[in-house]
Amino acid sequence: MKFRAKIVDAACLNHFTRVSNMIAKLAKTCTLRISPDKLNFILSDKLASGGVSMWCELEQENFFSEFQMEGISAANNEIYLELTSENLSRALKTAQNARALKIKLTNKHYPCLTVSIELLSVSSSSRIVTHDIPVKVIPRRLWKDLQEPTVPDSDIIEANLNGELNLKIETELVCVTTHFKDLGNPPLASENASQARNPEQMAEVHIDIRKLLQFLAGQQANPTKAVCNIVNNKIVHFDLLHEDVSLQYFIPALS
Amino acid sequence: MKNEVRRRLLYGGPQRPFYAVKRNSSLGKRRRRGGVKSRSFEKRGQHPGTRGRQAEARLATRLVRAPAMLKCGMGGSQVKVFGKAIQALSRVSDELWLDPSEKGLALRSVNSCRSAYGCVLFSPVFFQQYQWSTSVKMNDNDTISNLNCKLGMKSILPIFKCLNSLERNVESCKIFTRSDKCKVVIQFFCRHGIKRTHNVCFQESQPLQVIFEKSTCSNTLMIQPRVLAEAIVLFTSSQEEVTLAVTPFNVCIKSSNEESMDLTSSVHSEMFVGPDEFDFFQIGVDTEITFCFKELKGMLIFSEATHAPISIHFDFPGKPMALSIDDMLLEANFILATLADEPSRASSPQSLCLSQKRKRSDLIRSNSKAGKNVTSKALEHISRKAAPKRLCPNETLTDISALENCGSPPLKRVSGDVGEVPASSVRRAEEVLASPCLRKFSCMFFGAVSSDQHFSHPFDSLATASDSEEDVNYGSFSTF
Repeated sequence: MKFRAKIVDAACLNHFTRVSNMIAKLAKTCTLRISPDKLNFILSDKLASGGVSMWCELEQENFFSEFQMEGISAANNEIYLELTSENLSRALKTAQNARALKIKLTNKHYPCLTVSIELLSVSSSSRIVTHDIPVKVIPRRLWKDLQEPTVPDSDIIEANLNGELNLKIETELVCVTTHFKDLGNPPLASENASQARNPEQMAEVHIDIRKLLQFLAGQQANPTKAVCNIVNNKIVHFDLLHEDVSLQYFIPALS
Repeated sequence: MKNEVRRRLLYGGPQRPFYAVKRNSSLGKRRRRGGVKSRSFEKRGQHPGTRGRQAEARLATRLVRAPAMLKCGMGGSQVKVFGKAIQALSRVSDELWLDPSEKGLALRSVNSCRSAYGCVLFSPVFFQQYQWSTSVKMNDNDTISNLNCKLGMKSILPIFKCLNSLERNVESCKIFTRSDKCKVVIQFFCRHGIKRTHNVCFQESQPLQVIFEKSTCSNTLMIQPRVLAEAIVLFTSSQEEVTLAVTPFNVCIKSSNEESMDLTSSVHSEMFVGPDEFDFFQIGVDTEITFCFKELKGMLIFSEATHAPISIHFDFPGKPMALSIDDMLLEANFILATLADEPSRASSPQSLCLSQKRKRSDLIRSNSKAGKNVTSKALEHISRKAAPKRLCPNETLTDISALENCGSPPLKRVSGDVGEVPASSVRRAEEVLASPCLRKFSCMFFGAVSSDQHFSHPFDSLATASDSEEDVNYGSFSTF
């Protein structure tokens, strides 16, 4: 298994750092999937994460000037690594004004993702900073748990087909509702299903507000497009599209 | 006066004379430009603890006695530097000594396991006004003692907490002592006519000093604090130790981790710095030293205030290293113990150091008060002016049995920082137990003076004190 990548552009580096910060806020431990043309940060729905799951996808071309990888085998040309997301974001934080950043998969006593940063210092001699982030290689038999989640056929809920979204909280003493109007509805995949629905009818889901907050707080940049899909009383699915990163986040309903 | 003598009686064996060490003799050479003021110690038989003293004391009340005092004043911009020094020293331990002398006002701090020592000396020129005096007792035998003032960090640190606002608002600051009440008074004269006064109780305790020959170190680096600060960013606050590895071609600062397979364990980080980034670069011997991160951060905090370069003096692992800042107005020195590699690496001073330590802990365990004179031929000389009450056997990190023997009361009683020290010293003890290859911090202060006999649990003494009337005064010190 091999992986080497290099970023030289400052803007790309910044963007990658922001993505990594966002991931660090959303998930303590996550899986990094490396494939020839994409990088994915995955959090699969386990009890530990409270049932939320996350899938973030980056096109590697948009970030890395050099990118080489060799998966576990020719047939399965992918690498799955488990790491503590905060370690990566902290390592990238030191790369603020770096001349170049290299990431490699290495094995120093244990598998590591080595982030090597070349900093330009005042005295014009470059300083090299290395961070070895310990990772765990996920064996192939567990890969099936980490596949891209299929977006369920959803009714737009708590939003309706007329472009209204209501966020409601209820406590014993107070009930607050925020009404959003004039939102767009993306065209649904299956036209047949939607025809039967009454555009006025609301569908709703109860979710843990902390999880929603954690998701929203983790956002570092404004996405170009945000889609919220709700399956009645089951799950809410957020799909945020930035320029070259897409992030999908699933929050299950409270039982 | 009566109270004072009574107190001193309890500190050591009443029958034991105090074998004082004359500072000059053990050094061989002067360690400072300014020279060392020689302080004559009490002659034999004059130890405060001797019974004869009580008789003297009754006499003394009728004689003139001027207590030691300190009085100094500084401007608003100096307050920030002073406060930063205190903050930096608070990283070393929870106690601070104010030690005035003709060289200036020294702030000293030693951690309870004796692996770190910090001293910031403000020269008289730093202050707008600086007065100090020793106490003079007029009786048959002149005894001079300095202001032995020890403060708890918990008391003094909050006073210098918001340094930025202090800098903005404070026009001048006065610090003076009131020996009759054992108080240090800190007054801030702020804008708009506001005057803020803080009274801090101090405990009478003679400060410790470490003498470290910086000029004999084979490796010296001088670097701008900014560069070090950039290196520090690499490490998380959970990082306990950092390693400095030097060769004549480059310097590497890296995190020092035990090998572990835990994913959540710290990232291993390294930063290479080329020689041209240093103001002064002299490497005599390739070496790698490991020391505590916390104290390095403490030093950096202080250097931010002074903008002067930091000098690092060190040799081989095991020998303490010095971080210092030398400025016209002040001189700061942080002496840190470094991790020693193996016991087999017995450069003789080190092994001597170990045997000295064992001797000492034997003393402690047996609680013997035999006036054994343990002289030290160790590399670093210790100038110890009096028996420190707080010396807890846990200072010998390597000596596990001593740790066990320490017993909880002293640990708890000792100021706050022991809360953290036992954790790390116990951890190290576990390491030592676990691995056959013992890695230990070499302790800097070893059996220097024969004041060892005073290591009997001071708290036993306190226990008896509580029976007496005077313990009312004593009670005020228990907050430390």
